Amino acid sequence: MADTLGTFEQAVMLAIVRLGNNAYGRAILNEVQVRVKRDVAAGAVHATLSRLEKKGMLASRVEAGTPVRGGRARRFYKLQPQGARALNDAWSAVDALWRGLKRPLKGSVRLRASQ
Amino acid sequence: MTVNASPPSLGELILRAFLTERDFETVSGDLLEEYRENVCATRGALRADLWYWAQVLGFAWRDAGSWAILFAAVFLARTAMDWHMPTADFHTRSAISTLAAVGIFLAAGLRAGSRSGWSAAGAIAGLATAGLALPLQFLGAGMLLVLWHDPTIVAAIRGSGGLEEVYTLPLLTVLPGILFGAIGGALGARTRPSRPSGHSLSP
Repeated sequence: MADTLGTFEQAVMLAIVRLGNNAYGRAILNEVQVRVKRDVAAGAVHATLSRLEKKGMLASRVEAGTPVRGGRARRFYKLQPQGARALNDAWSAVDALWRGLKRPLKGSVRLRASQ
Repeated sequence: MTVNASPPSLGELILRAFLTERDFETVSGDLLEEYRENVCATRGALRADLWYWAQVLGFAWRDAGSWAILFAAVFLARTAMDWHMPTADFHTRSAISTLAAVGIFLAAGLRAGSRSGWSAAGAIAGLATAGLALPLQFLGAGMLLVLWHDPTIVAAIRGSGGLEEVYTLPLLTVLPGILFGAIGGALGARTRPSRPSGHSLSP
């Protein structure tokens, strides 16, 4: 496993996967906010996108803007094979941790374990 | 949707200092689109402007926060030294802490100017460094005072300029921060290697 993804990195990358061809900055920000159910700073998403692009997990292209953006260009992101591998590894790691346990956990399980 | 609403223009100007040329157009476009299509409509103009400033502050903190922490650490280290190791000759200490502060502001400005290709970015980075350091310096000095307030320390505080100096000096560094940040920014914008603009549109 070359790179271990953090939870927020996974949220950003999965938002890109869900958005498909419409994965640009603002759409990613909103998708992440919906999924994590809280306000997210645009700077946090931007920093994560830049970092993942530098690592080769994402690629981007620039397209023309729309009037509501004052004509400013949009940067669209796409998952790269290295990013897909990292996401799959992240899921496998969590899956391995949970394997054999019934969800949701109950408080009594924890109490018995601590006795 | 509020198509013609505009976010604070000063906020947009400041935002430019914390992004590369490549990213400024797309990121400011994202913020403008969200501001017009969502935030203005749901929160009203005033709260939408506050939202915009919060976003700009977030970008500023991500970029200048480490410089601000470093600057605050230098200030607090100097303060702690004056309180614990009193001296009659502050010249050497002042020279070292002043040089460190100038170096931090120059470096913050240089980086901002080099990244954005915009000379004024350095002044904004210097302002952000000094401004973001203020609460850290005030809180830090307060914590030092809570930890150490025996008569010896109180005497050393009086001998080193008093608490007034501890709480006014950070405010007095804002202007030099802008000045040295501007010098660094001008140097950074002039000496940066040429980069691809990244603004070419796909067909």
